[in-house]
Order: sequence, then structure tokens, then C-alpha cells
Amino acid sequence: MIKAVETNEIIKVYRGKQEIQALKGVNLSIDNGALFTLLGQNGAGKTTFLRIISTQLLPTKGEAFVLGLNIDTQEEEIRQRITVVPQDVATYGNFTPWEYCYYFTLLRGLSKHEAEEASKKALKSLGLWDQRNRTCATLSGGERKRAVISSALASDAEVLMLDEPTSGLDALARRKVWSILRGLVKRGKTILLTTHIMEEAEMVSDKVAVMHKGMIIAEGTPEQIKHLSKDRFRVAIEGSLNDLGVNEDDSNTVKLGNKFLIYHKDEDEALELVAKALKRGMRAEIAPVTLEDAFVKLVGGDGN
Amino acid sequence: MKSVPDLKRQPLILLLLGLVSSLPLFFILVYGADISHGLIGAMISTISFIGLTAAIQDVAYDRFLKMREMMVAMPVHPLSYALGVALAPLILATPGLIFFGAISLWIGALTLPSLFWASAVLVLCWATMSSIGFLISTYLQKAPPYVLGNIANVLGLLLSFIPPVYYPEEMLGTFSWISTVFPTSNAVSLIRVYTGSLNLPFETIVMRWAVLIIAAVFFAALTAVKARWRES
Repeated sequence: MIKAVETNEIIKVYRGKQEIQALKGVNLSIDNGALFTLLGQNGAGKTTFLRIISTQLLPTKGEAFVLGLNIDTQEEEIRQRITVVPQDVATYGNFTPWEYCYYFTLLRGLSKHEAEEASKKALKSLGLWDQRNRTCATLSGGERKRAVISSALASDAEVLMLDEPTSGLDALARRKVWSILRGLVKRGKTILLTTHIMEEAEMVSDKVAVMHKGMIIAEGTPEQIKHLSKDRFRVAIEGSLNDLGVNEDDSNTVKLGNKFLIYHKDEDEALELVAKALKRGMRAEIAPVTLEDAFVKLVGGDGN
Repeated sequence: MKSVPDLKRQPLILLLLGLVSSLPLFFILVYGADISHGLIGAMISTISFIGLTAAIQDVAYDRFLKMREMMVAMPVHPLSYALGVALAPLILATPGLIFFGAISLWIGALTLPSLFWASAVLVLCWATMSSIGFLISTYLQKAPPYVLGNIANVLGLLLSFIPPVYYPEEMLGTFSWISTVFPTSNAVSLIRVYTGSLNLPFETIVMRWAVLIIAAVFFAALTAVKARWRES
């Protein structure tokens, strides 16, 4: 079965005053009809990877296929079937959201009527219909971002590649975008998302790949990634841990200001610790480990 | 695609383009020189300025906005993009060109038969300057947009005011051949030949056409070879 995206040992080296190896052999396979998130810190290589598979950038070595098409030799066919929203994309001040959607869909070869219908639908879904004729210079940063995203939605491409699409958006707008993306996946679209926002990866993804220093270090569903950390529960306590008989320098303990996070494999142990802390009048709470917890463990806590 | 919203929302841009090109005409009028030469110079400087600056500034701006990244990943042919970038400001400049052309016809600086040759020369000059602009933006990909903008503006002004564009090449005496080297002044001289204000031997006219055509083809070919739609 043809995968949406398949890569084999993708290497990318930027040559300049300093040689930077941005990707060190990335192997990834993304199924059709899934929302796949590439999660990583800033500088992990997510954008470089996305630019390579969206045919904007050539790899130094390795091969990649999008919808079974080779990115080196069949880039024009790929471009017919994908759409990309780059990271930190800015807008032409004189363009309106309507013009973004309409002109970009015309550029993709849709007829005028199809472009109008697609633009109307995309703008309404992102809550920009009332602002459709205002110039981007008069819109807020979040509205401008949504104008560009709406032009991607209007394209009706099979694969959407979105590089940190919700950065700069408020919580409501972000959730609206997530909802739309899940709706697109239900319609059979494939979405490749890059983000450093853990909540986003956890909430919307079918599968996640964790990228660190140009390599994929973990891949699976959000639950599978969480289980990689082996710990299942996180206890947050405010105050000194010495009174509770817990070593503050233990490897399973993280200090955040005046708060400590203690990770446990066993639920009973975690609950016992919370009860002890509460008895001493300390603030304490227990929660399952999040994707963020697993990510921090995987990349080494301090990023090394 | 880009010129229509600009035209709708910034109509003053038409006035600005016209004023910049008309500035030398003001001095020509004040000092009582022959305005016909200035009108031809205004048309050439308008078309060369917008050809050069659009190809440099618009491409740099698109890169800065990440719009170019979006377009590379779309089914847009690079030639289509380049033509669009080059043509968009031409649409904005057309009213000014028509204005200068109309006055030139009215005062007899241009004649109807010479209009065809003048148009051909203008198109070749625009193609050459656009290609030079694309070549510069290809080689200076890493430069910030404001640096490229400054280069574009300075180069445009230099090519419009240093060579004999607004003044007749005869003023250079034995060095009048210099006007052949620059596409802007070469274009002005060719238009003047067809308006009858410059007499050149037939061989020289053929040579000047050849230089203009070869320059257009050369810079376009060089850009086609060197420019990369997809970054390596």
C-alpha cells in the first residue's frame, strides 16, 4: 500500500561558514488518512525535514516519496497534491483573506466557481468570513495566520504539511484549527504537522515522531510515546521534599522553582506520597504523565 | 495576482512612479532643453527601473514573507512566477508609459510608425533589466531584503542617470559608443533613430539591435541556468 510519506536515510547538511548537519538519517513512514505530528525542540530539524518532503529543499543524501512519488524526480506531480503552510509565514499587507484563498486556489488550477466555493467554505470554517474583505494589514496576528491557513484548507490537497500552524494563535483559535484538522482527517486527508507544543501533539495526533538533533528518537501513538518513559504518574508538590523522605536530587525528581515533580511507575506509591504531603499541609496533586514529561525524559531533561 | 490589490488599495503608487520618472523632465523644462529626449528617457527609465527593482525586491520580499516557500510547493511553474513578478509592476507602470507616450505623440517626439519599434525596444529593455534583477536576487539569496532593496534602487538610478538616457549621446562626443554598453541608453538611442532625432549608419543600427537582443537573451539564459526554484 502506498504511504503518504516515506523517507529512507534522509541527510541534510547545510554548507556555509560552518557545516551544520540538520538531519542525520531520518527514516519515517506516514500512513494515508492520518494526522502525524513531528514533535521536537527548536532546532531539532523539523522544518528542514518538512521543507525536503514538500519539495522546497533538496536533501544531501537519502530518498523520500510522497504519495509514492519521488521528491527528486517527480516534484511537479507531488506539488499538485500537497499544500504547505510554512512556519512564521507573513502576509502581504494589501491582500484580504478572501484574496488569499481565492487567488491561491486559482493558482492551483481550480475554476473561478470552484475557487469561490472553496474559499467561502475555508473562511467560514476558520471564522474569517466577516473579515474576508479587510486587508491583512488591519488584522491581528492570529487572524493573518488564519488567513494563510484558510488558503491551504481551500486547496483541497490530499496531503497538508503545516509547520507550527498554531503558533501565535490564542487558545480558542488553536482549538478551532485542531477541530478543522481532525475533520479533514475524517474526510481522508493526510496531515503532517510539526510543533513544539506538547498539548497540540497529544490532543490531535494519530501518531507522533519525536525528533531530536536531526534524528527520530521515538515514534508511535501519543500513548506509546508516554509509555516509553516507564513512569506512569507524576506527583507535583510545593515545598521541601526532605520532610517527606524524598531525595530532591533523585533522577526521578525535577525541580521547577519552588515546585517538585516526582515521577512514579506505581500508582499506589504516588498516591501515598500525595497523602503524606497533604497531611503536612503541603500542596500536592497527582496526574498521569503527559507527552511533555515523556519528551523531556527522552531528550534528556536539559536538552542534551 | 499581486498588482491588482496594490492598484486597488495604493493608487498613489501610480503617481509615485510617474513623478520619479518625470523629475528630470522638470529640469529639462526649466532649463529650456528639448523635452522630446526627456520623454523617451522617462519611458525607458520607468520600464527599466520597475523591471530591475521588481525582480530584486519582490523576490526578496516573497522570500522574507515565506510566500515563496508556499509557491514553490504549489503547482506553479517557476517561469510563471518570474513572469508574474516581472509583469505585475509593469501593469502599475502602464498608465505612466501611456501618459509619456501620448505626450510624445502629441508633440511629435514619437510618430505612429515609430511606435511599433519603440514598443519592441521597450519590451527588450524591460526583459533585459528584469533578467538582470532575477540574476542579482539569485546570487544574493542570503542578503536581507533591505540590502537588496537598496541595491535595486541604486542600480536603477545609476542605469537611468549616468548613461545617456535623459541626455543625448552626442554630448559624449567620441565616447558616444558607451551608450551601446548599457541596455537603457542603447534602448533610448534606438528609439531616437526611429523618431528621426538620431542619425546612425545602418550597420550601427543593426549592431545596436543585436546588442539589445543578445543582452536580453544572455541575461535570461544565465538566470535560467543559475536560478534555483528549489533550494539545494
